[in-house]
Amino acid sequence: MRIYNRYIVILLLASCLIDVLLAYAKQTDIAVYFTVSVIAYLIITVLFIYLSPRTRRTLSMVSIVFLAGFMVVVVLKVMEVLHLR
Amino acid sequence: MKNNPYRLLGIGLTIAGAIFAPVAYFIINSIPLTAIALSSIMVGFTSIALASSRPQISPEASQLILETGMENIAALLEELGLNHKAIYLPSSMRDGNAQALIPLSGEIDVRRIKGKIPRRLIVRYGDNPGDMAIAVTAPGGTGLDKMEIKSGPTSSEIEQAVTYVLTGLLDLANSVEVRMSEKQLDIEVTGPKLHFENVRYYRCMGSPIASIVASIASEGIGKPLRIQEESYQKGKNLIRLEVLG
Repeated sequence: MRIYNRYIVILLLASCLIDVLLAYAKQTDIAVYFTVSVIAYLIITVLFIYLSPRTRRTLSMVSIVFLAGFMVVVVLKVMEVLHLR
Repeated sequence: MKNNPYRLLGIGLTIAGAIFAPVAYFIINSIPLTAIALSSIMVGFTSIALASSRPQISPEASQLILETGMENIAALLEELGLNHKAIYLPSSMRDGNAQALIPLSGEIDVRRIKGKIPRRLIVRYGDNPGDMAIAVTAPGGTGLDKMEIKSGPTSSEIEQAVTYVLTGLLDLANSVEVRMSEKQLDIEVTGPKLHFENVRYYRCMGSPIASIVASIASEGIGKPLRIQEESYQKGKNLIRLEVLG
């Protein structure tokens, strides 16, 4: 299997697994699903160090967008805990 | 680029996720289904990113260029009637890129190689009048200095560099494993996309995959190498390199 196909398949499997496990654990907060998925995405992307430099640069930009979303969720949660919202 | 499968998959997943997410959240009222829609959008974006980072040149065009280069070297070998196995030299022994040296007669005794081999097609490598060879750039011999992951003298460094080139850059194999002894390197390439053929070019230079492996390993070790043996079994290309000098 080509390295790009392997990367996409692993991402899909990881996403499905995370969603199924969190649903099984009766998790009802969408932010939790999102943050765990983003962490898994970042880890898998880092593990594929053999992707070409051009691909890794493009994936880094996507990672930054996901990381920004992750940070927004974290900030909102912190504000919620501190009763600022 | 229009029919790029990664782009089609990415657009499909993103649109499906974007439509399904509000339906799952507001109408079905299911958080897990909304999460699946979100995951679909994430993988979709990633797939679109992969599509835009794929090389502009098609695999067919790359293969055509590779075969053209190989045909030219094969014609040269046929014309000169050369049958001996090539020796892969690191760039430190050549005036330029890592190259392969094919002796015009007999085997090359690497101890006779004096100084840097000049950047010419027909070269003299020793003091004797018969120490003549042709020097050609083998597949994988160029651009070794520009690689992000450099080859080194240990088996793990060679394995990393070869995997980076064969799997990441060229997409010619699934994985690579390198075992090293004092005078020998055994390389196992899983899922190679180019195979060994019993023609003069392959007998002299090795298959393109073996050439790439030998060039990278020679550069890492800093010593000349020869492809001692190459076989293909059960979806694996087994390459044995002999360290010379």
